Amino acid sequence: MPQQQPVLVVKRHHLMVRWSHWLNVPILLGLVLSGISIYWSSPVYQHKPDPITGNFDVAADLGVWLCAHVPGLLHYSDPPDWIYNHLSLGPGMLALALRLHWLCAYSFMLNGVVYVAGSILSASWRSLLPRRTDLLAALKIFRYYLGLPFAKLLRKKWLHPRFNTKYNALQRAAYFSIPVAGCLSVATGWAIHKPMQLHWLAAIFGGYNAARVWHFWLMWIYILFLVPHLILVLADGWDTLRSMIVGWSRRVEPPQVIAHDH
Amino acid sequence: MTTEKIRHPSEAAKSVALQKLGSFFAEQPPQKIQMPPARLHHLTRRDVLLFGAGALAALAGGSFLLPQETLTRLGVHRNLDPPAKEWFLSRGLRLDDDVAEALYSANRRVPTYTKSQITPLKNNYNGATPDPGYISGWNLILEGLASGLSTSLDIHNLLTRFSLQEQITRLVCVEGWSAVACWAGLRFDDLIRGYPPVSQAKWARVESSVNLDASGNPDPYFMSLDLATARHPQTLLATHFDGHPLTVDHGAPLRLLVPVKLGLKNVKAITRITYSADEPKDYWAERGYSRYDGI
Repeated sequence: MPQQQPVLVVKRHHLMVRWSHWLNVPILLGLVLSGISIYWSSPVYQHKPDPITGNFDVAADLGVWLCAHVPGLLHYSDPPDWIYNHLSLGPGMLALALRLHWLCAYSFMLNGVVYVAGSILSASWRSLLPRRTDLLAALKIFRYYLGLPFAKLLRKKWLHPRFNTKYNALQRAAYFSIPVAGCLSVATGWAIHKPMQLHWLAAIFGGYNAARVWHFWLMWIYILFLVPHLILVLADGWDTLRSMIVGWSRRVEPPQVIAHDH
Repeated sequence: MTTEKIRHPSEAAKSVALQKLGSFFAEQPPQKIQMPPARLHHLTRRDVLLFGAGALAALAGGSFLLPQETLTRLGVHRNLDPPAKEWFLSRGLRLDDDVAEALYSANRRVPTYTKSQITPLKNNYNGATPDPGYISGWNLILEGLASGLSTSLDIHNLLTRFSLQEQITRLVCVEGWSAVACWAGLRFDDLIRGYPPVSQAKWARVESSVNLDASGNPDPYFMSLDLATARHPQTLLATHFDGHPLTVDHGAPLRLLVPVKLGLKNVKAITRITYSADEPKDYWAERGYSRYDGI
């Protein structure tokens, strides 16, 4: 058997960070699906009841509109419930949705503790801290992504802005914001779950009703983060995806060396 | 920082301190490891397989926990909900109830509001609103008293014997909506002092026999309330809403107002209170909601 040359790898993600990262997938999915089911019983966004249908829920209006305009949905049996039938566990199951929501919420908090512990043990939290130059650098990377499809179409050279840190400025902004959003989701969740015993917490967010609005819009941060996150990790390649599973990366040198340099 | 010339020792010390602070927050260079390819291959295979197993387990766990209706919509037909699922979800609910109980403090008052902050409160009777005919012959029956007797009180007895307390508090529904309203009534704690329960009592079953279901048939409403919450200074047996005697919509002539619990514990048109050592049954707990409902 020939002697194999040892390969160089770098440690990229701590075991606890990887575990909590992947556990967030089912937990957040459960929180969003059960959360929208709970939303159904008393929508945050309402209007005066429609004189004909009696509907007051903006989400139901959206379902009705979709079923009237999207070709494949024209014969959908229950347009007002389209949103709840497709983006939640379903309408009219408050007790079950609440039980699942609490289960996922406690898991989410535990998982957050695991993530923070892993970030401290591996010191990886330092790579997430925003820097003074990040705003400009993030805008440059944003411009790069915006222009990338056109550059590909026109077969023009379009270079990624250089960086020599673990994450680029845009990644740092995203990966720093998500744990912050997680903390805010937990805080607003407790504020609306225990508005009497923790009334000071609800007051921080502007009272019970305002805390519900916060809690609702914080959900969109995860959804809005997920779309580019998935596209970019797939575009970046197997090494990046694998590093979140196995923890190490073959990209030993800083990214600026790998990038096509001119 | 680095290009500046340091002129003074104290500035130098400051700069060292800043550098230390800076290096505490600074990213560390990546840790390079040399590894034999065979071992790397082995570790990768192990972790990717573990990841796949975890993904399958999450999928199985998800389909185990998902409601029957959701699965049916996804095209999965499974006609029985495993009893383990019910057990598991109930345990989760129990845990949340224990947390709520630990958060409760007998001395913590809920926020009160001014008259200008009052918001409309809808008639949220679960079923049909009862016919007001019951009001004229209404009595409150107390059972499980230390005296060993059952006591019947009419609204006149209650209003003359006890002093009324007015409060503007928020009522929060399990559905998510809430309303700030002005209530007046006797304190539950005063009733307990006036008609003491048996010494080992820890619970009250608060009941309305006039409650109806959606089609107007009798559907008695019963709810468990721990005595610690019943004794809270803002737990009222309300007789007045917005300065006037309760209307049938709001549970005339006497309803429970317990702002530290969800609205569903605020029984309207109470007809009977029974004290007991053991936790009584609860209408909504039987339908999959929490038993404690502390907020």
